[in-house]
Amino acid sequence: MIKAIIIDDERNSRDIISLMLGKYCPQVQIADTASDCADGISKIKQHQPQLVFLDLEMPDGTGFDVLQGTQDEASFEAVFVTAFEKKFLHAIRFSEVEIILKPIDKESLLQAVQTVSQRINSQASKNRYRVLLDNFNHGKQANWNLLLPLANSQETTIRTTAIEYLESGMEGCSFYLEDGTVLQVERSFRHYADLFIPLRFYQVNNTQMVQLSHINRVMNDSQHILLNSGAQLEITERRKKDLLSFYR
Amino acid sequence: MKRIAYLFLFICYSAGIHAQPPTEDTLSIDMGAPPASADLRPYIYSLDMPGRSFSLSQINQQTFTHQPELFHPQPRYNKQPHNCWLKFTIRNTGLKDSSLTFFTGWHDFMYWYAGTHNHYQLLSQTGLMLDRGNVNRWERYAFPVVVPAGQSRTFLLHIINRSYNESALMPVLYDGLGYERFRNHQINTFRAEAVVIQVLLGMLLVFLTIAIINYIQLPDRSYLYFAAYILGLIMFFALRLESKPYQLSVFHRWPMLKYYWNIPALLFCFYLMYLMFGNAFLNLKERYPYMERIFTIAAACTGGVIIIFFYCIAQQLYHVPGIIYSYLYLGLLLPQLIVFVALAKRSRHHPLVRFFLLGSICYYLASLLGFIFQIKPLGFFNALGMFSAPNMPMIAGVFLQAMFFLAGLSYRNKLVHHERTKTQEMLIKQLNKNKELQRKLNEQLEELVKEQTSEILRKKQELEEQRQIQLNIEYDKKLTEIELKAIRAQINPHFIFNCLNSIQLFVMQRDYEYAQKYLSDFSYLIRKTLDFSRRNFITLTDEITYLNTYLGLEKMRFENKMEYDIRVDPAIATTELEIPAMLLQPYVENAVKYGMTNPNQPIGRLIIRFQQLAGDILECIVEDNGIGITRSKELRTLPKHHQSSGMEISSNRAELLNKMYNTDIHIEVIDKFARNFTESGTIVRILIPQL
Repeated sequence: MIKAIIIDDERNSRDIISLMLGKYCPQVQIADTASDCADGISKIKQHQPQLVFLDLEMPDGTGFDVLQGTQDEASFEAVFVTAFEKKFLHAIRFSEVEIILKPIDKESLLQAVQTVSQRINSQASKNRYRVLLDNFNHGKQANWNLLLPLANSQETTIRTTAIEYLESGMEGCSFYLEDGTVLQVERSFRHYADLFIPLRFYQVNNTQMVQLSHINRVMNDSQHILLNSGAQLEITERRKKDLLSFYR
Repeated sequence: MKRIAYLFLFICYSAGIHAQPPTEDTLSIDMGAPPASADLRPYIYSLDMPGRSFSLSQINQQTFTHQPELFHPQPRYNKQPHNCWLKFTIRNTGLKDSSLTFFTGWHDFMYWYAGTHNHYQLLSQTGLMLDRGNVNRWERYAFPVVVPAGQSRTFLLHIINRSYNESALMPVLYDGLGYERFRNHQINTFRAEAVVIQVLLGMLLVFLTIAIINYIQLPDRSYLYFAAYILGLIMFFALRLESKPYQLSVFHRWPMLKYYWNIPALLFCFYLMYLMFGNAFLNLKERYPYMERIFTIAAACTGGVIIIFFYCIAQQLYHVPGIIYSYLYLGLLLPQLIVFVALAKRSRHHPLVRFFLLGSICYYLASLLGFIFQIKPLGFFNALGMFSAPNMPMIAGVFLQAMFFLAGLSYRNKLVHHERTKTQEMLIKQLNKNKELQRKLNEQLEELVKEQTSEILRKKQELEEQRQIQLNIEYDKKLTEIELKAIRAQINPHFIFNCLNSIQLFVMQRDYEYAQKYLSDFSYLIRKTLDFSRRNFITLTDEITYLNTYLGLEKMRFENKMEYDIRVDPAIATTELEIPAMLLQPYVENAVKYGMTNPNQPIGRLIIRFQQLAGDILECIVEDNGIGITRSKELRTLPKHHQSSGMEISSNRAELLNKMYNTDIHIEVIDKFARNFTESGTIVRILIPQL
């Protein structure tokens, strides 16, 4: 059984979450509910749940405030439940924290609960929440940290600026860092391609995406770019022109 | 001098004494009935020893001899000072005492003695250099010969001529009538000559005046030299302005002037001033520097020679200047010719040279001609001695020279004038050209400026248009953007999905009636939002219905933890009054959002009031009983970059509307707490002037 708490300012929301959990995830036991941040924090401290369903925006604060407030005194996995919060979505995705969008559909709820259950079972580190809070408190997206779920079921946290380029693999993708490390990551290349859209990354070919700040030069006479580390990546003629236009 | 010679010849002829009479000791004449004139040469004994002079006491020891060669009817060059004594004895054979007149010519010093043997008495003295006696002294050259009847008397005449040029020395004895005739004849001749000289002087004076006036008008050195030259000539001829022969009518008070100026004047006029004039006149310094040097040196030498002359004259060496002058004249003929030729070669490029040369040649030829004329009657040396004496050809030459020089000066003036005119014309032409150029340039510039101005104006207009277009585009874009943003803000996705979530819950709870009401209200709201967001103005009724629906949904979400009240002033014609669409919605939403957060108020109360104010202004008030705008802002823990801007969009929109419709929508957000209300909360006051 997984002991859970629901924190949401709307009763309807709390009701539907508990209703759906009761119907589809019987392993989750709702210990209590709270309607604002302050109440939520005290309930968490009181119940020490394994799982918390967190609304993002509440009258007296945000879900992040709850995380912050319980950091030292409780250890739980969180699932954010929100109607529409584009602005927080990136920060959450960077830290690999689960999020469910309202109106809640069965599949995403099941998926989230399953993932969290695994983490609870494997007693996975709670690093992701620190990463999330850091990123949230930190302004510039370029300086955010990125939590990477590795292919060997481990995870690691890297600075986004340290990424030289990433490459699509058979399963998941590979991250090439500026210090020469290569990380095999579980998630797909496409996932990161979407995630990195607001950052200064450029997809030089179908399988590789490079961080612009790491490009040393764009070869004039060949279809290559040279990175600071010395690595050469292929680039298509069309994309080369496109890339060069960035520098003008 | 010639005239004297001719006169003597005439006299000789008329007296019939050209044949030498026999020599006798004593001339016996009946002085009661004497001949008109008598040549005394045969009766005169003379004492003439070259280089020696005798006093009256000495001559008694000397023997007087008969020397007919002593006499000459024409002027003669003696090659030395002449100091001679003449002696003759006359016996009056007549019956009464009578007086005749003895005349030997005009000489420098003459002493007249009478007496018997060894006892002579000075009767009178006269002479060119001796007699200061005005015009009358001319009469004194004829000495009275008084011999009592039947007696004999001896007369002595001492003649001293310091000048080597001696006037005619011819002893003639006249009776009263004869002398009168002779004298009248002389006077007439001299008068004729005086007229010529006077005319010449007049002309020279005119020349001088012209030169001086010209010099004042045009300060040029050549005029000055010309004036000096003319002045010298005037002096030279003024010395000869004699109404009677040898009387020096003007300068008789200082007869030495004749010597002092005679020859030096020639040098001064025809060499010194001539050279300096030529130098300045021909502008040799620039045009012929070599010749200029020659001229200058020659002029300097001439100046030196003139000073030497003066010295000689002062030393009573009267003959020296004459000699030097004659030799200088002859000796310089060839060099002058060379100079003339050299100058003539340049005449083509230098038209003034012609005038100078013609003038010079006129004088020198005339002078030479005069000299040659004199050679014939006088012999070469005599003529040489007489060189400085003016004669008709020389006067004509001088006159011609002065004329040519003056003409040259005038011609030069003309040239200068011509050149000046030409320069002026050129200047004027240049000036006109410049003016024309300037005008053209100005025109071009003006055209250019005009063109450029029009270009600039055109560009400016274009730019203005573009700016306008750009502005319009931007305006439109901004408007669209804001409208879009407004839609987004107004249909808060959070709200939408929460609504959907609620509906989902009702469905799951099988509360279908509630779900259907919720769904229909929700779809009405969405439809209206989409509708209104495309319109700028909606009626107040529409707005009220919209807000009612919206608040109803919110109330359902918040489980009746909120109340709302919409109060409309009955005076307002809600169906006619129009207000900007979606202007209130963000404030109402905010009021709902933050009005529910007051821990002291279990139920959030929202009041919306529409009132008609004076001056056709619609007042909309959105009031809540939340914690107030200030505190709610403080409470928001979200970092700055995460904050929403729904209210900002609304105020932006109000500004935009104000601009678009030139209205004055005024939005005021008041924190109740700050305004000392009894309870906390926020009041948003929106003033909408009716259009």
